[in-house]
Amino acid sequence: MLKATIDADIFRESIDAIAALVTECRMHVEPDRLYTRAVDTANVAMVSLQVKKEAFETYQATKEELGLDIAKLKNMLGMMGKGDKLDLSLPEGGHRMEIAFNRYRYALTLLDVNTIRKDPNPPTIELPGKVILTGEALQAAIKAASMVSDKIALGIDPDNKFFYMVAEGDTDHIRLELGQSEVESLTLVEVRSLFSLDYLKDMGRVMGKAEKVEIHLGVNHPVKFSFDFADRNGHIDYLLAPRIEAE
Amino acid sequence: MGVALRDIIIEYKKPIAWEGLAGIAAVDAHNALYQFLSIIRQPDGTPLMDSHGRITSHLSGILFRTLNFLEMGIRSVYVFDGEPPHFKQGTIETRRGQRIAAKERWQEALEKGEIGEAYKHARSSARVDAAVIDSSWQLLHLLGVPSVQAPSEGEAQAAFMAQIGDVQYSVSQDYDSLLFGSPVLARNLTVSGKRKVRGRTISINPERIILKEVLNGLSITREQLVEIALLVGTDFNEGVHGIGAKTALKIVKRREFGATLEKELPDFDPVPIMNFFLQPPVNTDYKLSWTPPDREGIRRMLCDQYEFSPERIDSALDKLATTSGQKTLDRWF
Repeated sequence: MLKATIDADIFRESIDAIAALVTECRMHVEPDRLYTRAVDTANVAMVSLQVKKEAFETYQATKEELGLDIAKLKNMLGMMGKGDKLDLSLPEGGHRMEIAFNRYRYALTLLDVNTIRKDPNPPTIELPGKVILTGEALQAAIKAASMVSDKIALGIDPDNKFFYMVAEGDTDHIRLELGQSEVESLTLVEVRSLFSLDYLKDMGRVMGKAEKVEIHLGVNHPVKFSFDFADRNGHIDYLLAPRIEAE
Repeated sequence: MGVALRDIIIEYKKPIAWEGLAGIAAVDAHNALYQFLSIIRQPDGTPLMDSHGRITSHLSGILFRTLNFLEMGIRSVYVFDGEPPHFKQGTIETRRGQRIAAKERWQEALEKGEIGEAYKHARSSARVDAAVIDSSWQLLHLLGVPSVQAPSEGEAQAAFMAQIGDVQYSVSQDYDSLLFGSPVLARNLTVSGKRKVRGRTISINPERIILKEVLNGLSITREQLVEIALLVGTDFNEGVHGIGAKTALKIVKRREFGATLEKELPDFDPVPIMNFFLQPPVNTDYKLSWTPPDREGIRRMLCDQYEFSPERIDSALDKLATTSGQKTLDRWF
């Protein structure tokens, strides 16, 4: 059972975060939160999202697992106005969730959870490098890199004390260095990994709205982007596998 | 199939992590296709087929192995057999007989409801025919993976490509690649990491054999390795009854190859086969270029023509679009 009211913007942010990687997911409903963890079809990137009870204006729920068609929900978001309130309601064991907003009552048929990929296990990765910067700066860097290449290297240079992003195209090259005074926090440890901008562009659109994004890095390891939304009552982690650096 | 050199090579078969295989690999197409056809089957031995009865096991194998290779940073070139040398005729006839017998035993086992037996015999009945080869060429072309036509044996062509540095190593289960002079041979590069051996499923891991290490380790030349193979038996000759690889090694090191053959097989002339291994006919006029996969073309071929599930193919194509040098998260879960 779920009966809740939420601000349309918070709902939009949650769905956008998931839609950046997958078109459907298993959403776990619990008495004090909603959460999902899903991996894209290519097994390259993962999203973990949690929205606490406090992010909602009203929230009542019992434990349930819902199969959500994220692509459909994303289309529906277009019909919502800024500041709209959304009423979500699902009876115990129900197969359709009712989403009411701005005089619309939308009945969303839930997917059979057994047809959706199981939640991946939480990965166990040691990522020693950490930098915190604004979502806006991160998104701008991703955009700049995608003008010259389809991949970007992220790393920390502990000797020169900066975090860097480098994109090398066939003919052009772009590099951004941010020193300790230009970022919120920087762990000085040597790390570097290369990533696909195809994924980062989609994630960047979501991360661009975050006040701060924690970036966790290793050597030829996945990158983890960690950030809050909904006044810290919502939290998103993205994990992206690295590309192999050309010799 | 191939040549039974395992006993003297075992020490030089080194396990290798997939990461160590990143590079360009020449795949013995016939060997790979035979593996797909024999392994990718239903429990009763029926291969994957479309509604017209056309076999599709090899197409599934090519698609998923290509994906797996790309993910590991391996770019493949498939090398296809050309005209077999006339001295392979005996082996070809024997294999044809074995296939026909296996097919009969498969049917018998099915009639008796012995599913395990049926699967075993079905595997031995696998045949790489013209339809399999044509559809493989077509799919590889759509995947953007180059294919090379060998004038004769594919393994010989792959070995030549590795010798001149166009590829880093050849991929085959058969040791013949070493006889043809492949500097590096990689084996066991299967997607599942499992193989059925005499009815049991065993875990297998990629392994690499470096020809120089074998020759230096055994203190022999490549010519002597070929002599050992001729004594043991190859696809081109029967060998001497009762002589295995270890005995053959001793004979060759004692320089008694000629005398042994004269005594045991007086009518056998080893020279044409020796020459075939040491200077096989090869194609030097080929071009290796990898192009992005033709997503629509693959969908048309596999889903519209051969009736693969569109969901399965779309998911594979999504992966293909991103896996060229892209690692996946699997190893961190």
